[in-house]
Amino acid sequence: MTAMLEKGKISAVQMSFLLYAIVIGTVIISVPATIGKHAKNDLWLSPIWASLFGMIAVGVSIGLHRMFPRLTLIQSLSRIFGRIPGKLLGLAYLVFYLILNGHGIRLYADFIVGTALPSTPILVLMATMIFVASVAVYGGIEGIGRSSQVIVPLYVLTFLIIVLLLLPDAKPNRLFPMLENGIVPSLKGAVTPQGWFAETLLLSFILPCLSDSKKAMKWGLAAVLAVMTTLVLANLIILLLYGNNVSRYVYPLLSATRYISYAEFFENVEAALVAIWVLGNFIKFSIIQYAVVLGTAQWLELADYRPLVWPIGFVMLLIGFWSLPNQMVLTQYSSTVFPYYSLLFQTILPLFILFVAFLRIRASRGGPTSG
Amino acid sequence: MPRVCMIRQGVRGMGGFFRKSSGTNGNRGSEDRNAGTKGNVPASSLSSDHDANVEQLRQIYANCADVVFRPFLIGGVTKATVIYIEGLTSVKDLNENFLGVLMDPSAEDLSIQSLLESKVRISKVEKVKSCEDCVAALSSGYPVLLAEGQSDGMALGLSAWDKRQIEEPSAEASVRGPREGFTETIGVSVSQLRRILKTPALKIEALKIGSLSRTQVMIAYLEGIVDKTVLDEVRERLKRIRIDGILESSYLEEMIEDAPYSPFPQVKTTERPDTACSGLLEGRVVVLTEGTPFAMVVPTTLFSLLQSQEDYYQHYIVSTAIRWLRYLFVALSLLLPSLYVAVLTFHQEMVPTSLLITMAASRESVPFPALVEALLMEVTFEVLREAGVRLPKQVGAAVSIVGALVIGQAAVQAGIVSAPMVIVVAITGIASFMVPRYVVGLAIRMLRFPMMLLAGSLGLLGIMLGLILILIHLSNLRSFGVPYLSPVAPLKPGELKDVAIRAPWWAMDTRPHMSENDRLVRQPPGQRPGPHRKKQ
Repeated sequence: MTAMLEKGKISAVQMSFLLYAIVIGTVIISVPATIGKHAKNDLWLSPIWASLFGMIAVGVSIGLHRMFPRLTLIQSLSRIFGRIPGKLLGLAYLVFYLILNGHGIRLYADFIVGTALPSTPILVLMATMIFVASVAVYGGIEGIGRSSQVIVPLYVLTFLIIVLLLLPDAKPNRLFPMLENGIVPSLKGAVTPQGWFAETLLLSFILPCLSDSKKAMKWGLAAVLAVMTTLVLANLIILLLYGNNVSRYVYPLLSATRYISYAEFFENVEAALVAIWVLGNFIKFSIIQYAVVLGTAQWLELADYRPLVWPIGFVMLLIGFWSLPNQMVLTQYSSTVFPYYSLLFQTILPLFILFVAFLRIRASRGGPTSG
Repeated sequence: MPRVCMIRQGVRGMGGFFRKSSGTNGNRGSEDRNAGTKGNVPASSLSSDHDANVEQLRQIYANCADVVFRPFLIGGVTKATVIYIEGLTSVKDLNENFLGVLMDPSAEDLSIQSLLESKVRISKVEKVKSCEDCVAALSSGYPVLLAEGQSDGMALGLSAWDKRQIEEPSAEASVRGPREGFTETIGVSVSQLRRILKTPALKIEALKIGSLSRTQVMIAYLEGIVDKTVLDEVRERLKRIRIDGILESSYLEEMIEDAPYSPFPQVKTTERPDTACSGLLEGRVVVLTEGTPFAMVVPTTLFSLLQSQEDYYQHYIVSTAIRWLRYLFVALSLLLPSLYVAVLTFHQEMVPTSLLITMAASRESVPFPALVEALLMEVTFEVLREAGVRLPKQVGAAVSIVGALVIGQAAVQAGIVSAPMVIVVAITGIASFMVPRYVVGLAIRMLRFPMMLLAGSLGLLGIMLGLILILIHLSNLRSFGVPYLSPVAPLKPGELKDVAIRAPWWAMDTRPHMSENDRLVRQPPGQRPGPHRKKQ
């Protein structure tokens, strides 16, 4: 039960990079289209509220890790709730992440078809990405952690350059009127991004292989703050470019890069931007797939998780391909269903789990002394 | 555990012999594990019967015309035979300093022991106790003396054979820096290391690999600086090898690699003693192989393979700039043709309009799609390069003329390939020669082809997927336990001073973390030069 399936070790910095990519990976594609619908001019405030949920997720993961070091979420569930209820809850989490990743990959494939390769079948795009992610998962967490150290800096750098190049076209007065209808619209706008931020709950699958787990809290929160800063920055620049009707665009940031044109030479860089974003998506998908594969192996109490990599990759492909008829449904799903689905699984349930675990630990510690 | 037994046997046997002759350390490395597999040499010890011993050796060396048996009488009385292999022994020294003295009848005391002590002017004399020892001694050029009434033979340190002079290494030329390279003679190579690092901390362990070639392999390292686990790993992997012959260090390389299916070299080969010593100073292990001038430095990382020794001899600002240029062109040599294919096939909008018009005009008459054109040209380039390398020098020039004329001009004029494609191939070719290590260049050049296929089918996305695959592979790769992408991933900020830039020597205070607990400090800090300041 406590046998470690993963022997690799990653550092807290690598963990932080992974967390950053987990959230930003797919979010950067569509941000801030869904936020803008409710928040209008205050859409840049929404990620700040939403980041609270990221912090909760990080806090819960680390709290559980302190009580059950060396155990992932799936393993600790059986410890906390007993064998059968723990397994059932674990299954629910595995299905949740399976669907999350399937839909994420679908989003990615739709994005590529819509922007760069209009005549390529989405099945090919999804299959190639799942193939690459599976290779990474097969290699273990160490490889993913190290790749993130190459990819994430590149990713952030590209983003900052884009923001910098867009600055000349930004009109600061579009920021106003600020908080015209009070704080409520920006809170409404935070409903969708809280689900993205809460994906940092995946930290629970990474923590057991951390070499310096004392720094986990610091770097975990740093990742959440970095994500928040990135999203605020992205929302601000989009707001200053387009005004408050951003929700019309499907991929606002990508459309914004069409503004970039320097010396009649450096222009039309969307394809390059798409290519860079693929890197972030890759980290995200491989980490979620890693969590599902590792979690399933632990759920089934297998000795090795590698035989599961390819089958689970295939299941993800099917989920992404069959569960959604078209992009409109996916957009609808991500703005109406996913936020509450995520709220349940990534915020409310984890808090409940942590609470029960806390009671259990206290009961078992207090038992002998009082009795 | 038969292996352990064999090691012990070896130390007692021939290994012990070589330990004294060539290494300074000599505790653990020497061994002769293949003794049991040698087949035709009985491990029997020598008897006191001189004729029987000689007969036994004659049988072992039947049909070996180059082995000389010279019977004589010591002082005109005692029967004796000296045996040596022609070409491996200094016959002049043997005649003058040995046979001349022993055959002199005027000597009063004729016991071999006293003759050796008082008359024979040879600095190194070893006892041999078995036929096996005799064979080992003879193979390394030591004449063996067998005498009547003696159950031990004498091996005389008179080995001498023709060897290549020390020359400038041809594959690793430098403008500034030492000009000498290793040679095929391992003793000379070791002495070159010893001449640079004059410290007893430089340890050299010897072992023999190859059941037939009996190739001498030496492991050199700096005690106290080397990472013990890496050293043990190297030793262990070398001892595991079972092979009949080693002709080049690449045999060893392929037998000790971490990931044998990887196209990337996990061992740094060098012909230069200074490169080997810089590896030693950084805590790496150097493996020298008899019969080849190429030494192996382990563990190695991708970035150390992208560095040239001359980076450290040029001004550090220049070296830093050259390193950046090199990184850029390494990326280009991998990506340029595939980027060209991807942009032309899928993302024409990325090209500035005027450039696009020029390119379209030149491609107008080309009958192939960009991918086919690129593959065609890249394959042709590889063929020309390979043909040029293997051919004799005189013919090589002809190949390059034909290549330049046919590919460069005629093909473009005939409208079979476009001029931009030729430029792309040419830049890629030049870029791949920017890599200071030939083998890394080869790996990257090979990976160019799958990248082109990906670019032709999925555009920039395909290139990205290919890059991700390469990145995953490199992230998972280790060379003797050290991550291949270190110090970038896993990130070690302190070590970037020798990767992102080339820091001046007064700032290179620490060694790379080849291990965590070994001596890291290279020199005291704060040595930045400047005008002399008087202490107040």
